[in-house]
Amino acid sequence: MNCDLAQENIVLAVYGELPDDRAHQLEQHLAQCERCRQEMEAVEGLQKAMAVVPVIEPSPSLVARARLRLDEALDAMPHGGFILRRWQSFRRGFGRLQSAPVMASALLLAGLGAGGWVGYHEGLRTAAKQIAAKPAAPAPVPVLADLDASQIVGVSSITREPDTENVKVRFSRMVPETAFGTLDDPQIRQLLLLGVRNAMNPTVHNDSVDLLAHECQNGHGCNGGPIRGALMVALRYDKDAEVRSKALAGLEPYIAIDTRVRDAILEALLKDPDPGIREKAIGLLTPVEADSSVRDVLHTVATRDQNPQIRNVSRQYLEQVALQ
Amino acid sequence: MPADALRFLPPARPSSARPRLQSGMATRTAGPVRENLAETDLIREAQAGSRTAFDTLVRQYDQAVLRLAMHLTGSEQDAQDIQQEAFLKAYRYLGNFRFECSFYTWIYRIVTNLCLDHLRRRKARREDQAVMIDSQGEEMDLLTNVSDDRSGANPARELERKYLGQRIRAALEELTPRERMVFELKHYQGLRLRTIGEMLNTTEETAKNTLFRATKKLRAKLAELR
Repeated sequence: MNCDLAQENIVLAVYGELPDDRAHQLEQHLAQCERCRQEMEAVEGLQKAMAVVPVIEPSPSLVARARLRLDEALDAMPHGGFILRRWQSFRRGFGRLQSAPVMASALLLAGLGAGGWVGYHEGLRTAAKQIAAKPAAPAPVPVLADLDASQIVGVSSITREPDTENVKVRFSRMVPETAFGTLDDPQIRQLLLLGVRNAMNPTVHNDSVDLLAHECQNGHGCNGGPIRGALMVALRYDKDAEVRSKALAGLEPYIAIDTRVRDAILEALLKDPDPGIREKAIGLLTPVEADSSVRDVLHTVATRDQNPQIRNVSRQYLEQVALQ
Repeated sequence: MPADALRFLPPARPSSARPRLQSGMATRTAGPVRENLAETDLIREAQAGSRTAFDTLVRQYDQAVLRLAMHLTGSEQDAQDIQQEAFLKAYRYLGNFRFECSFYTWIYRIVTNLCLDHLRRRKARREDQAVMIDSQGEEMDLLTNVSDDRSGANPARELERKYLGQRIRAALEELTPRERMVFELKHYQGLRLRTIGEMLNTTEETAKNTLFRATKKLRAKLAELR
């Protein structure tokens, strides 16, 4: 080893980056080279000098302030992130959305068409009986100006005014409404629970599960039935693994206090087709790992799960439990 | 030379310099498999739009980022700005993260780039940051954080250390931004050269050579003081 190389190795050694064999060679060189020994001292001296400008741990108040600022900035972000993702999920849902207005207007036309057809034949019959001129038809009820086909949910009845070509069609229309509120608001929660049941619109369904899970994770009053129940159902039956994952996360705070939740998670561990979910489920079982039913399931999973990593993790878990 | 003298130890630094980055996670007693899994899930959830998940990720790293930025820039305000910009960028571009490296490396890459920008701007403006400034613009007394039982009893020595501190900061300022960055990450933050290379989008070899240049320059500068 020559001195140039030795001097580089000295720097590496002082920073703990010199491999052992090179460290050994450096030792040998230093034993014989005064100049490099001095170099070594100089580098060590530099280390000590740099310590005069120490790394300071940020104060808790600085950290808190920085976090607050960041939170506000994230909330205020105008583009990208949120809107981009909403646009992307809207585009995904658009394909499904596109068929809906077509169906609704087809329904309306079918209803009107059926009514018209029945009315026509009725009219033929009465016209055959009556030869007298009919009085002028009364001015027809003006057709609703903005009959938006996408809002109509169904035609419930059709009545024909006798001796005229007037037809009365009763139908129902969806009235879109908007509710604003916080996640604590019971009205909002009720709407979200309904949103969970929306099988037609996966975005709504997923968002509802997400928000409810978020509430439960943060302990915002998910006590009592419906929300926890909705999450358990989502965990068991939802086809989308991401949704199941969110539901699982939302149930976490309740594992230790609610045996139904614990059992739901154990069931997920045994039956969920997605290995990621199964692994996550294992991770959540920490507070109740001493339960015999939990250990039984872990034993089963440790031997029978298809995924080797999961088998491994369960075995590790059982060993940990055994050591306690 | 006794064998002991050649036991190379990395420079001593406070134990808080390399915190366990998983301290932000919940109270699980987790093995490495489960922790990495948990972070991967978090990232995926954040990528899917969960702000909660993103916030959790931020909490795991923001303190370390602040610490680095504070020491590099010497200013609490600048450190906050860098931290904020870094995580806003991370939020905006989270979709681009494809797990090709660790999230830690990815975040630090963003942070180091911002730090390099800051250093370049400062060099262009020739600002003198020989002392640390807190958010009120007051000079921070670095010595209050360095424990040395003897310094209190000897004001002359304290003054000397303060002077030395200023000279060292000045010497650090004379490094190129990249040299400063590599030195900061290696010496003060204790990262491995390989990681530093990844963060600066270069090789370990290049990082090594940059470190050599930095230490050479610093030694030359400090030799002038003696």
